Amino acid sequence: MEATQTYDAQLAEFEGRIARGEKIEPGDWMPEAYRKQLIRMISQHAHSEIVGMLPEGKYIPHAPSLRRKMVLIAKVQDEAGHGQYLYHAAETLGATREEMIDALLTGKAKYSSVFNYPTLTWADIGMIGWLVDGAAIKNQLMLSHASYGPYSRAMVRICAEETFHYKQGMEMIVHYATNGTSRQRTMAQDALNRWWWPSLMMFGPHDSDSPNSAQLIRWGIKTKTNDELRNEFVTEMVEQFNAIGLTVPDPDMVYDAEREQWIHGPIDWDEFWQVVRGNGPMNAERLAARRKAHDDGLWVREALVAFAQRA
Amino acid sequence: MDTQWPRYEVFKQDTPNKPHQAVGSVHAPDDNMALQMARDVFVRRPKCHHLWVVPADAILMVTAQELEKGLDSAEPDSAPQPFHVFRKDNQRRSMTYVDHVGTINATSAHAALKAAREEYGDDAFVWWIVPDSAVITSDDVPVESWFAPALEKTYRHQSAYGFVHPQRQGRRRSQSVESEA
Amino acid sequence: MEPQLQQALINRLLAVADDELILGHRNAEWTGHAPILEEDIALANIAQDELGHAVLLYGIVADLGGDDADTLAMFRDADAFRNVQLVELPKGDWAFTMVRQFLYDAYELALHQRLRESAFRPIADASAKILQEEIYHLRHSHAWVERLGLGTSESNRRMQAALDTLWPYVGQLFVESADAEILVKADYFPALASVQAHWEQIVIPHLEASGLVVPDTAPIDAPRTVHTAHLDALLADMQLVARSDPEATW
Repeated sequence: MEATQTYDAQLAEFEGRIARGEKIEPGDWMPEAYRKQLIRMISQHAHSEIVGMLPEGKYIPHAPSLRRKMVLIAKVQDEAGHGQYLYHAAETLGATREEMIDALLTGKAKYSSVFNYPTLTWADIGMIGWLVDGAAIKNQLMLSHASYGPYSRAMVRICAEETFHYKQGMEMIVHYATNGTSRQRTMAQDALNRWWWPSLMMFGPHDSDSPNSAQLIRWGIKTKTNDELRNEFVTEMVEQFNAIGLTVPDPDMVYDAEREQWIHGPIDWDEFWQVVRGNGPMNAERLAARRKAHDDGLWVREALVAFAQRA
Repeated sequence: MDTQWPRYEVFKQDTPNKPHQAVGSVHAPDDNMALQMARDVFVRRPKCHHLWVVPADAILMVTAQELEKGLDSAEPDSAPQPFHVFRKDNQRRSMTYVDHVGTINATSAHAALKAAREEYGDDAFVWWIVPDSAVITSDDVPVESWFAPALEKTYRHQSAYGFVHPQRQGRRRSQSVESEA
Repeated sequence: MEPQLQQALINRLLAVADDELILGHRNAEWTGHAPILEEDIALANIAQDELGHAVLLYGIVADLGGDDADTLAMFRDADAFRNVQLVELPKGDWAFTMVRQFLYDAYELALHQRLRESAFRPIADASAKILQEEIYHLRHSHAWVERLGLGTSESNRRMQAALDTLWPYVGQLFVESADAEILVKADYFPALASVQAHWEQIVIPHLEASGLVVPDTAPIDAPRTVHTAHLDALLADMQLVARSDPEATW
C-alpha cells in the first residue's frame, strides 16, 4: 500500500507542477503512461517529418525556377532538421534513434497519413506548403505549449522555421490562382481538391473517437481537442481560398454565423482508417524508399564507426 | 545491427555577448564530424558566432527535483579541472534549454555542481556540468565560411515572403501562424 | 568591352555556372535519401550553395547582355550547356558522390582563390562570396574522403572504384577553351594550368593519405560542348515543369 501512496503523492505533485505551468524536464519524475504517450507521439511526429520529405522531395528535380528549387530544397532540408529535433526530444525520454527508426522501417510505428498520398503536379508543392503545413502548424503551435520541456522547445524551433514553409506555399498558390496562366489556375484547384480532405484528417479522429485526448489534455501535452483545432483551421482556410477564387471541395460546408465558423461536411473515416492501416495509395512506396536509404547507408555508418575506433 | 552514431550535445552562441545555449544534439561518429554536423543542423539560419559540441555522456545533467531527492554521487575525485556550468533559470517558452553561466575548478562534476549551487544560487530548474576537457569548440574555424553564409539565404525566412495573406483583414483576429511565429 | 572579350567572358562564366547548376541538381537528389539524417541536411546545404553560386554567375552573364538565370537553366538544350561531364554523371552511391564532391570542391577552391583577384570586378565580388562557402564544402568532403577511404575494406573498395571511374573526367576541368587566351590576358580569368597545379597539391596527398591509389588513366578528350546521355535525362527532369507552360511565371 505504501508504494501506491507514494505513487499517488508523486502523481499529485506532477500534476500540480503541470497545472502551475512548470515544464517537466528529463530526469524529473513522470508517470510511465506520460513517458510512453510522449515517446509514441514524438516519434510518430519525427517519422512524419522524415517520410514527409519524400512527396515533396520528388519534385526537387522538377522545380520550375532556380529560386523555387532552392526554396524547395531548403524546405525539405528543414523537414530533415525537424525530424532530427524531434528524435532528440524522444531520446531524452530513453528511446534511441536506432529503435525509433527500426519501428518506422518495420511498419510498427505510424506516421501522418497525409504523406501516403501522391504528389501529382507542381501545384501540389504549393498546396502542401500552405494547406498541409498550415494544418501541421496549428497542431505544432499547440504543442509548443506542451508540458514536456524538450518537446515544447523542439516545437518552438519548428514553428519558427515552419512559417516559411507555409508562406512559400501560400505565395505560390495565391500567384497561380490570381495571376497565373489558365493551366496554373487549374493545377491549383486540382491540388486543393486532392489535398483538402487528407489535411482535415491530419487532426485525427473526432473527439468522440479519440480515447487518449482527455488524459493528454490533463497532462498538458495537448491543450485543445482534435475537433477544436480542425474547426479553427477550416474556418481560416475557407476564407482564404474564397478570397483567391478557389473552391473548397465540400458541397455540404455551411457557415454558422453565431459561432463565426465554417462547418465542414462529413469526413470519409473509412478512407482515413484504410490509410492508417497501411492501405493508402503510397504507403508501400514510402516505406520502401526509407528502407532503401537506410540499407544503402549502412556501410557508410559502419565505416565511420570503424574509422573513429581506430583514430 | 544498425548504428546511428553517438550523440553530441550542441551549444550555440548567437553573438559574442550572449552565453552558449543548449540547442539540441547531433549524431556523429567523431568530434570533428560532430562540429561540422552541428553547423549544418543548427546554423541553417543566422545567427551564430560560436559553437561547442560535447559527447552527451560526458555531461552531468541534474534537475531541481532530482537535487531535492538527493543525488547518488559515487564519482572518484581527480585533479582539479575546469567545469562549465549551465542553468535553466525560467519556465518561459523557448527554443533553448540551459545557458552557460560560468566556469568552476573542481575535483569532480559533482563537486563542481555543489560549488555552482553556492556560487550561482540554488534556484535553477536544471543544472548541466560540462568538463572543459570534453568540449570541442569552433575556435579554429573561419566564421565567415561557417556561420556568415546563412545570412545571405534570405529565402529561408518567412519575412522574405511579404504580406501575401489573402484573408480579409479586420473581421477578427485569427489564430494564424503569424501571430506567434 | 570588346565584343570578342565579352563573348569569351560569357562563355567562360557559363561554363563555371553550368558546373554549379548541374552538380547542385545532382546533390539535391540525395535530399531524403542520405545515409544519416545529419547528412541529408549537410548535402542539402551544399546543393543550395551550388545553386546560389550558379544564380550569382548567371546574373553576371545577364548583365553582360545574356539571358537571365531561369531562361539559361530551363530553356537551353543539352548542346548549349557548357558543364563538364564530371558533374552530369548520375549520383551513384555515397562514395561516388563524396569523391566527386572532393575533386570538385578542391577545383572550386583553387579556382575562386584566383578569381577573387579577377580584374573584372563583378567576378571578383561573386568569387569572394563563393569562396567562403567552398572553404566549408572542401572541409566537408575532405573529412568524408579520409573516413571512407580508411574506414572498412568495403568503404575503401567503394571509394577506390568511385575514384577510378571519376578520374578520367577530371581533366576536362582544366582544358582551356579556344578563346581562353584573351581572358587570361585581360586578367579576367586565371590560366587553368595554375589552377590545376594548386588542385593537385590539395587532392593528391589527401587521396594517398586516405588509403586510395591515384589512378594514372588518361583524361577523356572532349570539349565542354560534348555531353553524355546523362545530361539529356537530367535536363528532362529539371526542365519538365518550366517547359510545360513556357508563358508562366512560377
